Parts: sequence; C-alpha cells; structure tokens
Amino acid sequence: MALWACLLFPSLPLDVFARGQNASEAARPFVVGSGGHYPRIVAANAAAQAAGIRHGQLVSGALALAPELALRDRDEAAEARALAQIATWALTFTPMACLAPPDAMVADVGSSLRLFGGLPRLVARLTAGALDLGYASRLGIAPTPEAALLLARAAQPSPVRESARLPQVLAPLPLTLVDLPDATRTTLREAGVVTFGQADALPRDGAARRFGADLVRRLDHALGRVPDPRAAFVPPPRFTGRLELPAPVHDVEALAFGVQRLVRDLADWLLARGLGAVRLTLTLAHERYLRARGMPPTVVPFALGAPARTPAHLLGVLRERLARVTLAAPVEAIVLDSEETAPLAGRNLGLLPGDDADQVEVPLVDRLRARLGEDAIYRLAPHAEHRPELATRAAPLRVPLPPHTAPLPDAPRPLWLLTEPQPLRELFAHKPWIIRDGPERIESGWWDGGDLRRDYFVADTPDGAATAWIYRDHRHGVDDGEWFLHGIFA
Amino acid sequence: MATALAALLAHPAIWRGNDVAPEPSALPSGFAGLDAVLPGHGWPQAALTELLVEREGIGEIRLTLPALARVMAARRDVVWIAPPHQPYAPALAAAGLDLARLYVVTCKTPQEALWAFEQALRAPECGAAFAWLATHDERVLRRLQVAARDGRTWGALWRRPGQRGSATTAPLRLALARQDGRLAVRVLKRRGVDLPQPVLLALEADMPSLPVVGREAAASARPPRIARS
Repeated sequence: MALWACLLFPSLPLDVFARGQNASEAARPFVVGSGGHYPRIVAANAAAQAAGIRHGQLVSGALALAPELALRDRDEAAEARALAQIATWALTFTPMACLAPPDAMVADVGSSLRLFGGLPRLVARLTAGALDLGYASRLGIAPTPEAALLLARAAQPSPVRESARLPQVLAPLPLTLVDLPDATRTTLREAGVVTFGQADALPRDGAARRFGADLVRRLDHALGRVPDPRAAFVPPPRFTGRLELPAPVHDVEALAFGVQRLVRDLADWLLARGLGAVRLTLTLAHERYLRARGMPPTVVPFALGAPARTPAHLLGVLRERLARVTLAAPVEAIVLDSEETAPLAGRNLGLLPGDDADQVEVPLVDRLRARLGEDAIYRLAPHAEHRPELATRAAPLRVPLPPHTAPLPDAPRPLWLLTEPQPLRELFAHKPWIIRDGPERIESGWWDGGDLRRDYFVADTPDGAATAWIYRDHRHGVDDGEWFLHGIFA
Repeated sequence: MATALAALLAHPAIWRGNDVAPEPSALPSGFAGLDAVLPGHGWPQAALTELLVEREGIGEIRLTLPALARVMAARRDVVWIAPPHQPYAPALAAAGLDLARLYVVTCKTPQEALWAFEQALRAPECGAAFAWLATHDERVLRRLQVAARDGRTWGALWRRPGQRGSATTAPLRLALARQDGRLAVRVLKRRGVDLPQPVLLALEADMPSLPVVGREAAASARPPRIARS
C-alpha cells in the first residue's frame, strides 16, 4: 500500500543561508529580503522575530528595529538546489521521492516501513534527519501525495493511513491550501466555497465548468479517486553543492561548519548513486564587490587515495587540506564539486559493534597527501627496461597496484639509486676499488635519444667499507670512458 | 625447589639485571645472530629504534628487509619518509618486498617529515615506518616514541653518518658499521644489560666475493654479461 510522506520546509528561504552557521552565529538576528527597490522581509530567524521583525515588513523598518541585522536577498535558485539535495537524502529511505516545488517534497514510504521499524520511527528519522541537514520541516502523511502535501500545509502531523478516512480529514481544510489559480480561488470564495469539503460536495460537471477542470482534478488526486503519477526524483549525475553564508567569513576555521554541511550532502548523493568520491574541488567565493572587481575565487582541489564516501573520512581529509589554505579575502559562499567519482559497493556492517571502528579513521595515505601535496607520497613499481634509471617508476596511488610483471634482472641491483650518476674521476684515479661482480654491459635506448652503453660493476670502496654500483661510460668509444657512481648497496 | 624458582622467574613481570627486558611483541629480524641480542628476539614492534649508520652502502637497509617482508605479509603497510636516495624498485622487488605496501614520502621541510613520521607511527594500517631525520630534540623523540607505542608500529629513525647525537629516548639504539667485510651491529642501548661486543652478520650470501683487483683489471675480470636491446 502506498503511503506518502510530505516534508514541507516553511523556512526554506531562511534555512538555505542559516544552515551554514554554527550555533553561536545563529543567535544573531538574520532576515531574508525580497530584493528590489522596496525590499520586504520574506523570512526572519528567531532572534529577528524576537526583535519585533515580521514577515512582509519593509527592510528599512526592520533595520530600524535591529540595526545589527544581517540581511541576504532571497535566492530561489538556492532553494531549488536545497530541495533537490533533500530529495537526494530522502532516497536513503525510499526509492520513490518527488519534488513538490517551491518548498516541499513527497516520498512514498509505504514499502520502507518494515525496514525502518514502523511508521513512528521512520517519521522521527525523517524530521530529525531534515533538521540535521539544517532544514526545519513539517510533516504530513497520507495515502496520496496531494493529501500528504495538504496535511503538511495545514500543519496536521498525525498520519492518515487509510484512504477511507481521507474525505473526513480533508473536509475542514481551507481551500487556500490547494494550489489553484488566483482567479479560481476568488470565484470560489465569492461563491461561498471555502473548505475542501464544500468544494468536494459541489456537483462535479458543474464545478468543472464553472471553476475549471483543475479544481476537480486536484480534489480527485487528493482523495485518490484518480491516479496521480509523479516523476520520481533522480539525483544529478554530478554533485555540486553550494552554500551561501549569511555573513562573510574571514578565517578558515569558521568555514568548517559550512564545509561539514556540504560534505554530508555529498555523502548522501554518493550513497544514492552508489559512488565514492575520488577527486573533489572546494571553491570559496569571495564577497560580491570583490567578485565584481575580478577577484577569482579560492579553489581548493583535493584527491583521495581510494574512492570514499564516509563523511568522517571526507571531512578528515578536507580539514587537513584547508589548514594549508590562506584566505585572500572574506568568503561569502562555498561550493563543493565532485570532479571524479568511482563506483563503490556498499559495505557490510561489522558483525560485532566496533568491528568497523577503524574504517572511519582517515587512511594515512589520504592524510599525508592532503597535508603534504598530491605528489609527496607514492609507491614504486619496477618497469621492464634495461636502463637502470628507467626501471623504477612512481606508481599512482589510486589504482590497486597490479602484481608486477616486469622481469627482474638476474644481476645484483642496489637498493638506493642516485638520481644523477656521480663522476668518480679523482676518487678513482689513485686508489683501486675492489670489484666484486661484473662487468654487466647495458646498452639500450638508441631509438629514443636516451642512448647509453655502460659496463656496470659491483665494487667496494678502496677502504672496503661500503659497496656501490659503479659503471664505466662507453657512450663515446670503447674502454676509455669515465667512471660513475650510480647506486649504493645499502 | 629449583623448578619452582624457575617458574617464578619466568613470570613476564620479572626480569633480572643480567638479562634483557622481556619485549611482548617483537618482530623477528630474520638474522638469528641479531635476534639473540635484541630484547624479545626481534625488532621492537611498538617502539622507536634508532639506527646509527657509519656510512652508506654497508648493507644497512638489507638488514631490515626480512622484517619488512614480514610486516607486509601481515597485511600492514611500510612507509619510508624522506629517504636519502631514490629507492630502487627492481632491487626491492627482488628482495621479496610487496611493493603495493611500500609508500615513499618526500618532504620539503624537516617539520613536514616529522609530522609525516608521527602520523605514520600512529596509523593502525602502518606496520613499520622509517624516517631519515636529523632531529635530536628530546621532546620530539619522546613524542615519536609515544606515537609508535600507540600505533603499534616499528619506527626506525635513521641517523646519517656523523649524526650520532646524545642521549635518546628510543629504547633501542644500534650502530651499524662494516667490519671484516661483514655488517657489525653494535648495541648502544637496549632494555637490559650492556652488550660491549658487536654482532657480526653476513648479509652477502647472494653476492660472491671476488679477489681484489685493480681498476685496470676490471674489464678482464670476467666476460661481460650483456643486456642489449
């Protein structure tokens, strides 16, 4: 049986900004204005309301009430993005989630009740989860999506599970809650039809003629008399999380809270798509007037050693990486982009609690890379090549290293190789070195310009105290070349 | 009576002055001669070891390879921080190391290297961490020692020739030198009685020792092995 849960976000215009704040910043009065020449208050936080600021008031009036007020203009694009993000998160509860713009989403939770331990628990998880994301929500639960939306708008949180009860529950709701064209609403009001029940009691064909087919269709959808197909939400193929901050932030430390929000969003998206992040970019946009003057945003790219999805892991890496960043100017918005992802299968939970405790720890490799730079840590791989300096390579960290197939030389090789062969000249002229093995002729590379012809020897230093790998260079002739030190048998 | 006393003395909490301290978790070095003089018969698995090298090229790294192979076999990583030269992959692979578990870290400053060393020592996935560092700061060394204990990692601090330094908090301190063509390991400090005599180890079983020849004789010493392509 289908059971729809509607999450309605009454303070969405405010929350898209306020979720970037930590608790102490949230105590400051903050409002969202409509923009334009005579901006009005669209939403106000608790501190602003306590100062007497009301919805619809002129911003100038509000500033007179609270001079320290923080103000941002309403960002409807950000609200749409937030809704999509919430829907992505909701996909952890059900495969069927739909957007209900501008400020709600509905999800079919009927098939997930058992998994999450019954309706009350699922409801608790939904509201707590939305709050955790930084959005205050109101819940409505009904057998049809339209009815769930109406119940949420009417602030009736008690769930309605049986379709038979729907007409009775919906009847007293005012028609203003239903999405109808303004003209229809006015006509209905003038005809004295103000509640859902009254509208439903009207003769159907007459109502459709007089008030438009929209009204009848909406009533039928709400009561489940007509199927209400909705497009299931599909998470976007690429993650871009953007967080506008209510007030400009001057130091990296204060960004941590907002970054944490974005990383959680990213983790939800990764889970919904069954992916792990490999490369990410964090962009810190500076203040508007600086942007207008052509100041580029601060871009912080970072990479992970292996595809990762756990918020703790991602955050740990990001925190190290951010510690290396110095802000050139205050930051107004944070953007997190997934540059590269890789499929990541779900992980089984440990058999005993605590089994997977060390999994949450950020792998050493990621921590080192985040702090020291991308190229600071590498693995080694032998390469099938006679020229000694080309036979060892730095292997990328991300891919699992295949078992090496390069044939290993059967002659002795030193553990340390000098990056540049060191001429032995005088060192060699007077005192004899003690040859232990050799010569081994290596002659290769005429095709790529790295031509060499050398006779290698394992030799002890004249005092017999150390063993080295030396060669005589025959590139320019035979038996008269110079001697070089190339390796150390450490 | 004697057996009762022996049983009592075998208790791990008791050790006598003429003996070495019990080391609960030691990593066998692969050299019987060395294991015999190390507390717990191996490299300390959760502590710092300081290695003083008289000069490079005496087999100092080869001394550690069997233990590193053992660490890798136990599915733990090995991290080398700021090695003095480029580690040579074919030789390491030929020595039996699993190169997928060996990480090399290059650092721009000594502070970075210290930080990386501490992180590696603390990391549970890292079984052995080697660092080539010049620090003699006692507080730093103690911090590293604590990190090694917490992470249960064998931390080896390599001293370059001449960097002998003074007292150290590392519970094991060895001086490596070559003596009579063999690697002489002198135990400068261990938990237990002093060991004045160095231990001589033959690392070179795989390398034939040829008669001494001058440089002019080099070319005719043996027909050249040829790798040509």
